[in-house]
Amino acid sequence: MTDIQVTSPVRDGVGASAPRPDGTLKVTGEFAYASDLWMDGMLHGATLRSPHPRARILSVDLTGALKLPGVEAVLTHEDVPGAKLYGVDHADQPVLAIDQVRYQGEPIAVVAADHPETARRACALIRVVYEVLEPLTDPRRAALDPSYEKVHAGGNVVRHQPIRVGSVFEADVVVTGEYEVGMQDQAFLGPESGLAVPAEDGGVDLYVATQWLHVDQDQIAPCLGLPPEKVRLTLAGVGGAFGAREDLSMQIHACLLALHTGKPVRIVYGREESFFGHVHRHPALMRYEHGATRDGRLVYVKGEIILDGGAYASSTPAVVGNAASLGVGPYSVPNISLDAYGVYTNNPPCGAMRGFGAVQACFGYESQLDRLAEACGLDPVEVRIRNAISEGSRIATGQIVDMPAPLTSMLEQVRDLPLPEGVSTDLRDLPGGVANSTHGEGIVRGVGYGIGIKNICYSEGFDDFSTARVRLEVIGEEAAVLVHTAAAEVGQGLVTLKAQIARTELGVPNVTIAPADTQVGSAGSSSASRQSYVTGGAVKTACEAVRERLLELAAKKLSHDGLALSGGKIVSVSGIVVASVAEVLGDDVIEETREYRHRATAPMDQLTGQGDAHTQFAFCVHRAVVDVDVELGLVKVVELAAVQDVGKILNPIALEGQIHGGTAQGLGLALMEEIQVAGGLIRNPSFTDYLIPTILDMPPMRLEILENPDPHAPYGLRGAGEPPTLSSTPAIVAAVRAATGKSLMRIPVRPEHITGT
Amino acid sequence: MRPFAYERATDVRSAVATLSERPDAVYLGGGTNLVDLMRLGVVSPEMLVDVTRVVDATIEESAGGGLLIGAGVRNGDLTADPLVRGRYPVLAQAVLSGASGQIRNMATVGGNLLQRTRCSYFQDTSKPCNKRRPGSGCPAREGDHRNLAILGHSSSCVATHPSDMAVALAALGAVVHVEGRHGPRTVPMPGLHRLPGDEPDRDTVLEPGDLITAVELPELPFATRSRYRKVRDRASFAFAVVSVAAALDVADGVVRDCRIALGGVAPVPWRAELAESALRGAAATAAEFGRAADIELAQARPLRDNGFKVPLARNVLVGVLTDLAEAR
Ligand SMILES: Cc1cc2nc3c(=O)[nH]c(=O)nc-3n(C[C@H](O)[C@H](O)[C@H](O)COP(=O)(O)OP(=O)(O)OC[C@H]3O[C@@H](n4cnc5c(N)ncnc54)[C@H](O)[C@@H]3O)c2cc1C
Ligand code: SF4
Repeated sequence: MTDIQVTSPVRDGVGASAPRPDGTLKVTGEFAYASDLWMDGMLHGATLRSPHPRARILSVDLTGALKLPGVEAVLTHEDVPGAKLYGVDHADQPVLAIDQVRYQGEPIAVVAADHPETARRACALIRVVYEVLEPLTDPRRAALDPSYEKVHAGGNVVRHQPIRVGSVFEADVVVTGEYEVGMQDQAFLGPESGLAVPAEDGGVDLYVATQWLHVDQDQIAPCLGLPPEKVRLTLAGVGGAFGAREDLSMQIHACLLALHTGKPVRIVYGREESFFGHVHRHPALMRYEHGATRDGRLVYVKGEIILDGGAYASSTPAVVGNAASLGVGPYSVPNISLDAYGVYTNNPPCGAMRGFGAVQACFGYESQLDRLAEACGLDPVEVRIRNAISEGSRIATGQIVDMPAPLTSMLEQVRDLPLPEGVSTDLRDLPGGVANSTHGEGIVRGVGYGIGIKNICYSEGFDDFSTARVRLEVIGEEAAVLVHTAAAEVGQGLVTLKAQIARTELGVPNVTIAPADTQVGSAGSSSASRQSYVTGGAVKTACEAVRERLLELAAKKLSHDGLALSGGKIVSVSGIVVASVAEVLGDDVIEETREYRHRATAPMDQLTGQGDAHTQFAFCVHRAVVDVDVELGLVKVVELAAVQDVGKILNPIALEGQIHGGTAQGLGLALMEEIQVAGGLIRNPSFTDYLIPTILDMPPMRLEILENPDPHAPYGLRGAGEPPTLSSTPAIVAAVRAATGKSLMRIPVRPEHITGT
Repeated sequence: MRPFAYERATDVRSAVATLSERPDAVYLGGGTNLVDLMRLGVVSPEMLVDVTRVVDATIEESAGGGLLIGAGVRNGDLTADPLVRGRYPVLAQAVLSGASGQIRNMATVGGNLLQRTRCSYFQDTSKPCNKRRPGSGCPAREGDHRNLAILGHSSSCVATHPSDMAVALAALGAVVHVEGRHGPRTVPMPGLHRLPGDEPDRDTVLEPGDLITAVELPELPFATRSRYRKVRDRASFAFAVVSVAAALDVADGVVRDCRIALGGVAPVPWRAELAESALRGAAATAAEFGRAADIELAQARPLRDNGFKVPLARNVLVGVLTDLAEAR
């Protein structure tokens, strides 16, 4: 693929802070989310869920529900016409529970009625007799104890991925640690919602908030017993995703009800239900042993990472792959023996969340690097610099980093940024905020660092591609571009970016983005920080094809050779404008569809974990400055500074938003965000009790963004959404450790961990 | 949610009469707690009697030299009131530390006093809970109880009362004005809320139909030197893990009088009477404050996962008293 240098001065092209079309609407409350979908005569769906994390279903009696006026359908697993199981990686999850439930909140029956309240009441009238069983909630036993009871007949280990490199596991300096990561939620604002409309051809049209339309289609159609082309999806307004929409929620249920009743059916989860309606971030138990020379150079790493996948597989296999392959971090380690496990338990199902396996590991290995620094009497930045990979190094899988990896200079840069001064006297700037908990006395400041490595795009041999259809025509005497992809805008700004790319490549200011649907080929998922890369690449490639045909057409119509497109005009070799795009097009329409694939990746060896599993690596470094009230255990993050290499800045303001947001999510994991699970039960399914950082918790940020292009990627870009989520957590915890001297082995850190009781 | 009727009360007596006749009716204040609980199915009244227009919504000086705060006063207005801020800063601070700006603008004083516990089992109708369904059991005792009580709990219930405002009112010795079936009466604080004992479903001593009409603050000149301090899991918009409301009267380095209450640690706003009597006449030093805290907290019976609240409560208490002793 050749990169044609486009010098066009087109406004709002690549590199500009082009405004997002959804921005104003969202801020003013006018944006139509999936929960706002409406059709006259539609029915409302509701879901009966298991209150028990583990039980056998002895009987289900629908009589009461069916008798309730207004109820039009009450369906159980018996009404699922096709496959009874589905799953994003591995079909192990029942559409509706069959003879047992494996987690609290597992759907058992669905109801369609004339009003949401009628549907909910009908659910309450369904009588289910359970034989309640003791839930299996110990992930360590699930991973390592063969005598532990099984959640699924095939065993409790979803995936075990070892990494084996070298054979020297002795060193002068050895540091060990056992770390624990609590269960984080994506905490998106728009609950799971969609509208299914039965079609005349016996199929169904589904409007839904999701991350990947085609993988939904691939899972829905077999369960409905329909060919995929009869299950058509259109993206509805997505209120945040962060991985939680990678798995299905209400999709099959709404389609089943619509097909059964012959009427449109909308399902909108409530906030509480939403906590049971999507997967969460895997909690992790980690053991690390780092061996190094006295001057802090790593000799070996031994590790064990146990990820609790909960009741169903979801994307656990891929999460394990990331945790293993990135499990020692962005460091050159000559000898590695690491085992990552993903297991089944009766805890809530866990799957994709921003950072995907790399987040948990990063808390572990970065905590270890700080221990190593202390053991060697080195500065934490210095110990990282001594071990950091660079371009040409190998990561734990043996894969060579064949793109810029300026970690040393990034670390130096973040270290050398000026530190914030003095303790403020404004309550809002102090630990505890306006709760008056301190006036600045007894406050200890701490500084900490974190650095992470994240793979961008799908890995391990996955055929990862996106499709773009680009159409160029004259509308109202003006050249106009229509870009059509199935890529999900989940708030990250992809709609804006696709238009920027089309403007830059075709020099045409007037670009329309068609709604994302399954009438065009798959775009892959809006996850793994991959859409700018892959769908961006597809749009760019399709535009290039359109441009080529436009120039052919120009050559033919104008009988002129050596034409080029510049500044939205057709120009001759000498740069003289020969015609406008609209003049060349006339009534002709140019439409090209292209698939874009990133370079192929390979699976990891099952025994050694070796293999070129990843497409691209991305790096972010954080420095956190905290003030801690050591008596009350309260932390105020005073400042977060980050240096991130993004290869190429496509939209500065959107990029900064990604780094701020990712950092804030990492802060949440460090200090407060946790789904509390006791005996398999979620104890805080509300935003009153599941705490996410507020503006008072999130400090101002200092950003330094680097542009070292990756030669393999379109525009040289690097995926940017996830890396900041990795490194902000360990940086903050390191800063709290520096202030308190506490070991803080578990996140989120709570007041009691700091007060030490 | 069950269907319910809504009625806007026209006067206090008829509101009380309606509730006295209909056991399935409840008063509606700002609705910020009640409506949440209705949506969760925790309570399912058949009738809501909106009292926001009939209970007083003003703050006035009382005959006894204190303040009379109408039960309909919005939490947001209470924190902003100059009389409250000047004479009883602990109360303004306590209310300000609760919930969010929007919620405080809806929430009323009456509703705030009667808000229900945040115990997660209480809010989850698929689980047993003695407070919600007497006799069904208390899963919190062995389950998730990090933020539940260390003081005053019973074998039947270990919940905490979540209100910040009530902690300040208990410290100040407020008096609650109630209009009941048999006319008006007053209930002192502490004393409005009751310990669970073996009747955890009864949060307060109020009888069916009782309407809170006002809260009266006694004259307490030294309350100008008072403070509310709250430890919570994030910087705003979170319930207390531990909180302390205190007022201190110090002369010549000696504690002449004090008022102390703890929040987040008990089924009621916990007036620390033992600490108070230990402090009267004692030197106003951190050591004495610590000793008083220890005396109070010697009664604590922490559960498996909330033992941290004992030293935390001590630290908060000593910190607040030390601050007050140093303040001028
Ligand atoms: C997200 C969130 C966060 C919160 N955080 C905090 C916090 O940090 N600290 C804190 O203290 N509180 C907090 N709260 C609770 C909040 O303070 C209460 O919900 C509020 O004070 C209740 O007042 P209301 O008028 O809305 O009561 P309602 O919801 O209207 O009523 C509550 C109860 O009081 C009864 N009632 C109402 N008025 C009267 C009356 N005059 N006489 C007799 N009975 C009456 C009702 O019948 C009902 O049983 C939070 C609430 C939410 C939703
Ligand atoms: S502590 Fe009280 S409110 Fe909580 S479950 Fe037990 S009885 Fe119910």
